[in-house]
Amino acid sequence: MSAEQGIRERALAEAFVTLADTLVADYDVIDVLHQLTIECVELLPVDAAGLLLSDQRGTLQMAAASTERARVVELFQLQSDEGPCLDCFRTSRPIAAPDLRGMTEWPRFIAHTLDTGFRSVHAVPMRLRTETIGALNLFGIQPRALGPDELRIAQALADVATIGILQERAIRRRDVLAEQLQVALNSRVIIEQAKGVLAERGQLEMERAFEVLRRYARSTQQRLSDVALGVANRTIAADVILGPLHGGPSA
Amino acid sequence: MTELPALEQVLREIVAEGGADAPRRICEACVAALSLDRAALALMTAADQQEPLWASDEVARKLDDLQFSLGEGPCVEAFVDRRPVLVADLIEHAHSRWPVFAAAALRTPVRALFVLPVQAGAITVGVLDLYRDTPGMLDPDELAGALRAADAAMWTLLGLRDGGTGYAGVDGVSRADGNRRQPVSELHRLEVYQATGMIVEQMQVSPEVALSALRAHAFAQGQTILQVAHEVVVRRLRFDEEKL
Repeated sequence: MSAEQGIRERALAEAFVTLADTLVADYDVIDVLHQLTIECVELLPVDAAGLLLSDQRGTLQMAAASTERARVVELFQLQSDEGPCLDCFRTSRPIAAPDLRGMTEWPRFIAHTLDTGFRSVHAVPMRLRTETIGALNLFGIQPRALGPDELRIAQALADVATIGILQERAIRRRDVLAEQLQVALNSRVIIEQAKGVLAERGQLEMERAFEVLRRYARSTQQRLSDVALGVANRTIAADVILGPLHGGPSA
Repeated sequence: MTELPALEQVLREIVAEGGADAPRRICEACVAALSLDRAALALMTAADQQEPLWASDEVARKLDDLQFSLGEGPCVEAFVDRRPVLVADLIEHAHSRWPVFAAAALRTPVRALFVLPVQAGAITVGVLDLYRDTPGMLDPDELAGALRAADAAMWTLLGLRDGGTGYAGVDGVSRADGNRRQPVSELHRLEVYQATGMIVEQMQVSPEVALSALRAHAFAQGQTILQVAHEVVVRRLRFDEEKL
């Protein structure tokens, strides 16, 4: 084993231990998915990751992204209805686009993604038995093809995400997947609403509002979506989340 | 037999036209297009506070009433947990999940039920109850249709809990330009939610009222809700000094 392999394997083991730690009783699925996109960037030679989930109405929705740039690319892809992540979801097969420059597929996606600063995209499906429930997408600033081992790691991380969605609570019965997907997507919506409240109160960018929300949930050991619900419903004061630096608009 | 595109078209028309009979039309559209026998729609403000809006028949009405009087059952669970409750075979749950409700329900012809929260993030306004007399799960197309029906119910019920006089009750929808369709899918655009949160803070109101205000503004200005939401998110439009 080379030194590089040894380092990678240790990092991989640590990442799965971290993820396993988060998959304990009553964890928050959106928080786990967000953590997972961050782990992807640490474990693989990629610069950003995003995760799309089926909304069971026939379209995909953004569930998590490691950075704002990845988020923008994912949203553009959903809006323009073309791109490797959508193809990955539709075909349920991994898609590799090691260098977007020079490719002729997905012209709108490629133009936008190159503008955003990414050159390579890889997508692996999130599958459960015969059903495909989403896709994990990996973006690189430099052109690069992921090797077979790296793709296996990516698939393993996508599988962890699938398990994370399934087991948010104890599985009580069949049909739980459909219910869990809706819970996950609704949690995403709650978080967006809470981000709006915090962005307005603290005059923050949306990405910063998310960081503040997540940090507060972690430091107080609460579920991210519970805190978000409280902020959106105004049962938790925005100023409590924002902390002393952001007392809101000066009175 | 699933006729998803036809159902979506009908739902779009119901949302665009609004009106007091929208709950009836949504329930009827579900029963007509999906493999269901009965449907009901109820407003809910708390687990023990509900207002039935429409039930397709006596059995559906009775099952709703029963859950609300017992305080247990799939409707209560869907509302409290903000999640769909999909029960392919009621007999499997007779002894475990909702013993009193299930025992009573099994004295009716109903054998499968699918309850969808009528919700958008932190906003939960009610439940859509779909009942079938034979056991079995909705297939993916039927589930998609049922979820879209719940989305349509969300748009039509939004603001109704304020008595319909607040920002955009069902009347507000029916008076709107009939040519301007409100695509049901817009319920899921992230900027709409971010804007909703910003308006919550600007107006110091619930997210439900904030989303109603957003929609009412779009109608009044002849814009889509997405356009207005974008203006809010980029901070070119504020709602704190608006009179709607």
